[in-house]
This record gives sequence, C-alpha cells and structure tokens, in this order.
Amino acid sequence: MPERCRCWDNGNLAGVYISFPFCSQKCTFCNFASGVFSRGLEERYLRALRAEAARFAWKWLPETVYLGGGTPSRLSGDDLAELLALVPGRPWREATIEAAPGSITPEKARAWAAAGVNRVSLGVQSFVSAELAGTGRKHTAEVVAREVGILRDAGIENFNIDLIAGLPGQTPASWRESLEWLQRLAAPHVSVYMLEVDEDSRLGAEILKGGARYGAARVPAEDEIVELYEIAVDRLEAMGVSQYEISNFARPGRRSLHNLKYWKLEPYAGFGADAHSFDGAVRRQNAETPEEYVERMERGEAPCIAETPARLAEEKFILGLRLREGIRPSPEEWLTFAAPIARLTEAGLLETADGALRLTRRGILLSNEVFQDFIS
Amino acid sequence: MDPRYIRNFSIIAHIDHGKSTLADRLLEVTGALSEREMMNQVLDSMDLERERGITIKAHAVRLNYRAKDGELYQLNLIDTPGHVDFSYEVSRSLQACEGALLVVDASQGVEAQTLANTYLALHHNLELIPVINKIDLPVAEPERVREQIEQVIGLDASSAILVSAKQGTGIDEVLEAVVHLVPPPSGNPEAPLRALIFDSWFDPYRGVIILLRVVDGKLRIGQHIRLWANGKVFEVEGLGYQSPKPVACEELSAGEVGFMFANIKTVSDAQIGDTVIDDDNPAAEPLPGFQEVKPMVFAGLYPVESHEHGALRDALEKLRLNDSALNFEPEHSAALGFGFRCGFLGLLHMDIVQERLEREFNIDLITTAPGVRYRVLTRKGEVVEVDNPTKFPSAAEIEHVEEPIFEATIITRDEFIGEILRLLEEKRGVQKKFEYIGTGRVLLVYELPLSEIVLDFYDRLKTVSRGYASLDYHFAGYRPSPMVKLDVLVAGEPVDALSMIVHKDHAYERGKSLIERLRKLIPRQMFEVALQAAIGNKVIARETISAMRKNVLAKCYGGDVTRKRKLLEKQKEGKRRMKRVGKVDIPQEAFLAVLRVGGEEE
Repeated sequence: MPERCRCWDNGNLAGVYISFPFCSQKCTFCNFASGVFSRGLEERYLRALRAEAARFAWKWLPETVYLGGGTPSRLSGDDLAELLALVPGRPWREATIEAAPGSITPEKARAWAAAGVNRVSLGVQSFVSAELAGTGRKHTAEVVAREVGILRDAGIENFNIDLIAGLPGQTPASWRESLEWLQRLAAPHVSVYMLEVDEDSRLGAEILKGGARYGAARVPAEDEIVELYEIAVDRLEAMGVSQYEISNFARPGRRSLHNLKYWKLEPYAGFGADAHSFDGAVRRQNAETPEEYVERMERGEAPCIAETPARLAEEKFILGLRLREGIRPSPEEWLTFAAPIARLTEAGLLETADGALRLTRRGILLSNEVFQDFIS
Repeated sequence: MDPRYIRNFSIIAHIDHGKSTLADRLLEVTGALSEREMMNQVLDSMDLERERGITIKAHAVRLNYRAKDGELYQLNLIDTPGHVDFSYEVSRSLQACEGALLVVDASQGVEAQTLANTYLALHHNLELIPVINKIDLPVAEPERVREQIEQVIGLDASSAILVSAKQGTGIDEVLEAVVHLVPPPSGNPEAPLRALIFDSWFDPYRGVIILLRVVDGKLRIGQHIRLWANGKVFEVEGLGYQSPKPVACEELSAGEVGFMFANIKTVSDAQIGDTVIDDDNPAAEPLPGFQEVKPMVFAGLYPVESHEHGALRDALEKLRLNDSALNFEPEHSAALGFGFRCGFLGLLHMDIVQERLEREFNIDLITTAPGVRYRVLTRKGEVVEVDNPTKFPSAAEIEHVEEPIFEATIITRDEFIGEILRLLEEKRGVQKKFEYIGTGRVLLVYELPLSEIVLDFYDRLKTVSRGYASLDYHFAGYRPSPMVKLDVLVAGEPVDALSMIVHKDHAYERGKSLIERLRKLIPRQMFEVALQAAIGNKVIARETISAMRKNVLAKCYGGDVTRKRKLLEKQKEGKRRMKRVGKVDIPQEAFLAVLRVGGEEE
C-alpha cells in the first residue's frame, strides 16, 4: 500500500497535477524527463497512475486540475475519462490538458469536454514553419488555427499558446509573425519561454558542447533573446494580453488558476512520474522517470522519493516575486530582508508601491540575481 | 677507511638520458640491493620525484665493490638534483666528488643540460668519464654521439663506455672506470675537521639530517661540531651512510661520504655548501664556494578560502623545515585577501611547492603570476629590491631599474632555428653564441631576462621546436632595463593582484592582451564594467564588459521549486568563490590570465 501523502483541510483551494510524460517524439529544445517510451510502459504507467489517484485520501475538493506532459493529448478519450473520474470536485473551476498541435480532432475535443476539461494548453512554440522544422514539431500556423476552431466548437473557449523565444533561426521579424497569429486567434492566455540552455535538451547540449545537428549555431544570442522577449511583452500588452508572471500573459479573467497556486504557495497534489506535491508545509517529489515510478508502484512502494520541508519565508519571495503584482511582505519580512531589498531597489531591480514589493521590468530578466539574495 | 680505496663520484646527464636507471643498475651489480628489492629509480624517493622523473634532493649511496684488481673499494655515488632550478645544489654535490660519469643518450646526443653540467663538473676539476647509454635502442648512433662529445664538449671520448643500463650491458666497465679513472680523495685525515654539507632534510625523530663529505679530519659521535656560516655548535648524535638503507657508524673520516644528525632543529641552520668544523679544534678556513641560496622567482600564494590562511602558513612552515630555499612572508592583497609572498629557486621549485601544498595539505590555492626581483635605484639614491609589483615605486621616483639576466643555452635542430630566434628576439634575448655542432644541430647561447623566462618561455620554446630543443640557464647578473609597472583597473578600481612589471616596449601589447583575456574571463555583471590597462595615470588599453541582461528561470511551476532553488544556490555559491573587488566579482581564473599574456593565443 503506497504511503499516503498528508492531506489538507484548508478549504477547497488545492490543485491537482497529473503527469503524463509520454510523447510521439522528443523535441530538440525539451529538457524535461519526458519522451518516447514503449507502448507497454505507457499501459503500465496508466495503471500505476490510476492506483496512485485512487488511493489518495481526498479531504478536500480540488478546484483545479492540470494534465501536463509529455503529451497528454495522446491519451484516448476513454483513458482520460477514467483518469479524471478519480479526481473529485467536478466541475472544476479550471481543468487544463496540454496538447500537441496537429493531433486535435472534433471527436477528441468533444471527449475532453465530456471528461470535464475546460482549458487546453497548446505547445505551439512558433507559428513560423521554418523555425519549427528543426525542432521536431510538424504543425503549421493554419493547423493551429483550425484546431482552435475545433476546440471552440466543442465548447472549450479557454486556451493557452506556448511560444519559445530563442529557437534556431528566429529573428525579431519572424517573432513578430508568431505574435500576430496570437492576435488573429484572440488567444486568451500566452506563455513565452526563453530557451533554456542546459545539458538536458539536445539543442542545449549542442549549444554548450558544439555541433551542427540541431541548429545551435543559429540560436539567437542572449541579448537578442532578451530583445525578442521585450517585443513580446509590449506586443501582448498592446493586444490586451497582460503580463502577470515572468513567462505568463492573459486577458482579464483568463489567468491560469492552477499555475497561480504555485506562485502563491497554495497547496497541490501531484500524481505520476516526477510529479510534485505541496501541502502547505512539506514539498514531495515522485520518482523522476516513468520506469522508476511504475516499478515502485508495482512493488507496492510509495512513489515519493524526496520530502523537503518548505522554507516558506524564502519561498514567498522567490516564488511570489515572479508575479507582476509582487508580494506584500509582513512588517517582520520587511525588516529581515531590509538589506537586500534596499540594495536591489538601489540597483533598479525591485520597486515598492503601496506596501507591495515587485520586480522592475529590468528585474524580471535578472530575477535570479534578485532571488539569490533571498535564499540562505 | 684508507682514502686510497675510496671513490666519490656522481652521474651527470640531461633529463631522460638514463641517469636513474644507471644508478639502479650500479646498486644492483654491487649487491647494495637484491633484484627483488629493486623498485625502479630507487634514489628518487619522493613521490613527486618519481612522477616527474627528476631528482629534487641529493642522495649519497655507498657501494662496496670488489674490483678486478682484487681490492675492495668504497664507492660513494652522489646523486644530484636534475634541474636548473637547483644548480647551486648540483654544484655542491659535485664539489663533494672527484669524478663524474657523463651520461649521454646514444640517440639524442648532447643536450643543453649535458653541456651545463659538464661545465660545472670541469669547474670543480672533476675527472669526467663519458658514458654513452641506451645503445640497445634501434636508433642508437653511438659513433655519432662520440664525435659530438668531442666536438661540442671538447672531451676525449675515444674510450667512452657503451652502456645499456636497461639491459645491464657495460655496467662492469663503468665500475672499473670509476675505480681506475676517478682519483682517490686527497684530504688529510689528521688535519682539523672540515666537512662539506651538500644536502639536508628534516626528520621528525632525529631533527635535521645532514649529508656531508668529510674533506679533512674525522667526524665522531659525541664530537662538538660548529657550523661555519652561523657559528652554532652541536654535539654529533649519530653518523652513518646510505647503502641505500641507512647504516649507522661510529666515525666518518677524510674522503668519506655519509650522514650526520646532531639535534639541529631547522634546515636553515644546516645550509647547503656550508662547512662543518670541530668546535674544539677549528679549522682556519672554510671550504670554498659557500653561498646563501637566494630565491629568484616570486609569487603570491593565497588560499581560495580565506579561513585557510592559518592552515597555509602552517603548511609553508612545515615545508620550509625541509626546504631552506623556500622563502615566504605575509602579504595582503586588496583583491585576494591575506596570503604569502613566496620566493622560489625557479619555476619548477614553485610548481613543486604549490603541488605539495595542494596535495599533502589539501589547500586550494590562487597563485599570482610569477615574477622576479628587480633592483630599483631611486632618485634619492637608494637601491630598493622589489619582488612584488604592488611595491614598485612610481615612475617619478625611479632613476633606473635593473633586472636579473640569465644565460640560456639551447640546443636544437636546424629546422626550428627561425622560429626560435624570433621567440628569443621577442623575449629580449641577446645573442652570445650561434654554433653548428654537426648533424643539423645548433647550439645557441643567449642572455635572457629572467622575467621573460618565467612568463611562458619554456612552453613556447617547446611549441616552436616541437619538443626538439633542450634548455639550460643560469644566473648571469643584473642589467638596466626600462621596466614599468602595468596596472589593471576594473570598474575604475586598480586590482593589485593583476599588476605586473613589464618592459616599456611591451607594455601596450601585454596590457591589451591581458584585458582582452580578462573580458572573456570576467562574467557579465549587473552593470557595465570598464577594464583598463594603465601605466601610472595613462590608460593604454580599454575593454568593456556589457551589463548582464538576463538571468532568469523561464519556467517555474510547482514541481520545480526544489530543483530551481538548487540552481539559485549553485549560482550563489559560484559568486561566493569569486573575489569581489569594489562591486565586481572576479573569478579565480582571471588572476591566472596574467600568466598567459603576450605571445600566442592558446
């Protein structure tokens, strides 16, 4: 019997995260523990996932659900329905599924809606085919437009579009092209990620170590990526999609309720490989790879591999400051962090207004420098 | 022992010409060691010595050899340090001998060190026995090498012994030659004691152990001896010799070589080259040739972790117990904090000290670029010796500057001569000799400023000659040179640890090259950082590090909190290991950039 995570009784503010780390292909920029695995593993994984959710002792009703990947849009309608049936609280205020463009059919969209999904996050990354070509994505802007229509027809009005700033060959002109599509599609929510360069993605490793396969040489320079990001912030604002977090933008009333929980230190429970949970005091992490997760579950062990007490005082700053509205430090917090706050304000990275503390526009891009001053 | 049956000799050779293998073979053949006990290169006992294939400390081994004439001889093999940094020690070891085996590799021929050591040996009137080693190699050309020895060294090599130390051929001939050609010691056993110290080291149980050669008189246990240089008196507690294991004895008499301990606490009391005399019956004159060993190369040693300052001092003190040539005094750098200014015999010595500090004492070090000691004549008429760029007087106070000059001997192949001459010119060398020595080889003698040698000369020589150049050098005196102090300013603040003293004509190019390197090594900061190289108030080169634009985690969702936090901690730790000057964080590698200034990009 898996060990049960501790439960919460602070009302129904919690969220549920379900991890589905399976993809049809691994994108070159992806640095997640997701990818292509055997069909057999996928089936065993779903069984394990259902078992973990079924055994969970719900003492509260989740208000948000988030199915993240990987590519959970690969799930069949039945598998999805069976999985979501294990999560109480329906109808949820927000239930998101991540989807790869190019795979959404009217049947699929209807099945999602029937299972309780009311929001779709589309991993578009770019609307420019030349930029997509090298990354492993096969869709076009027209495909995305058609699928947004399919979602709306199925009653799913709320969707997000992910874009990456820093793909090989990207220029300010091609970037503006992608941004124009957001206006054309009237995207209610947009996430803009600056390319993360590390050893965990093929493109990142190529940038660090050299090579010519994934277009590392054509990746925009750091300062150019900054420029792309700034262009996006301004253009989105102009079309009414305002920045509310470092990478997230939304029309009024369309902010991601689930993701806000992370930055506001609200609790959530995570199921599946590499899923994380936070009960207001302790952070827990499940086994990272799907193999390890499945094996632990099949052996009857708890999927959780790490428990860390949250450091709420510091996390309030390093998570809360990601929000454009910033945080409202308590009088003690103003005192504890008086020195870094003064220094960072002086440096033009933080600003205060009406008792709130927030990053300046420059501070957003240098936020790691800011956060370092709030961790011990 | 009757001096007629004593032979004191050493082996001189260029590095890798087989000195240690030959020594091992002599030990084996005379039965000093059974084959089973043989470990390669018995005489190089420090780990570092074995790893680097060089001898740092001297050794003296007594071999008992029954010669073909039926007599039993006491052969004392004095193994000398094998690197130019230790040439004074070499000269003292040679002074303890009457003869030397001159070992030359049968395929490589005469090299720079062969030549330098030969001159040293001839200077001490040693009988030289040419030995051509490695005759077993397919590329061996003993006849050519024989000719070369005659032509380059001017030594009769017609009776040179052909040896393969590796295979053990020719060893008996070597021993016979030592017996018959090396003269017996000529000292007087009845005269007042005079013994030459040619090495010493610290033993935690016995105190300082001195290796010495008794020249006149006798040394006995219980005797009161006096050290000539400092006049200190000690009572002899133990005597013996290495065979190669230590063997105790009651007495060492004129002509013999052995060790002594006398409750001496520090090696700096027992200086190499000093004379031991009898306190009750003192000799009137010391043995000739004693010099105080003077450090030639200087660098600042700083702990990476500032709290290790005390540990570094303790470690240096421990090393000095065994290494009187190591000098250090506390120093403070605005950039690097508290550390020590250390003086070394040369670059190898510096390398060894650094490596021992890191390996044996586990101290992470930042070493500033090595420099030399300048003599500055001030306008006031004072002579100031400066071994630290931060103490270099301002231009207005200087009348003139003198720098140490070395005479460098290089032997190389004809085909590399163009590049080597260009390098020597760039390094401000002055040609003294250019000579073809047969079969496409060239002998060069140049005067070179030591400051240029310590910068990167040896590495560059190796590169341009593809390894086919041998180098030896020795101190030749001071020479006036227009040297100036080059400062580096980071964001307007001078960084003392990056200052250097350079020749006026090199200042611009070195300054430019240095700050270009620094621009690549110093990470972008929150603000734009100006890098400047300046002489006095005059900026001669400038670079700018533009402000950091981006350090951000794009994605941060629930799961990632712990992981992202680790990344922040890592970034923060990285900064902590940098040195902060003013508001700028400078990584440690930047302080080493000075080492690679000027000359080729890597």
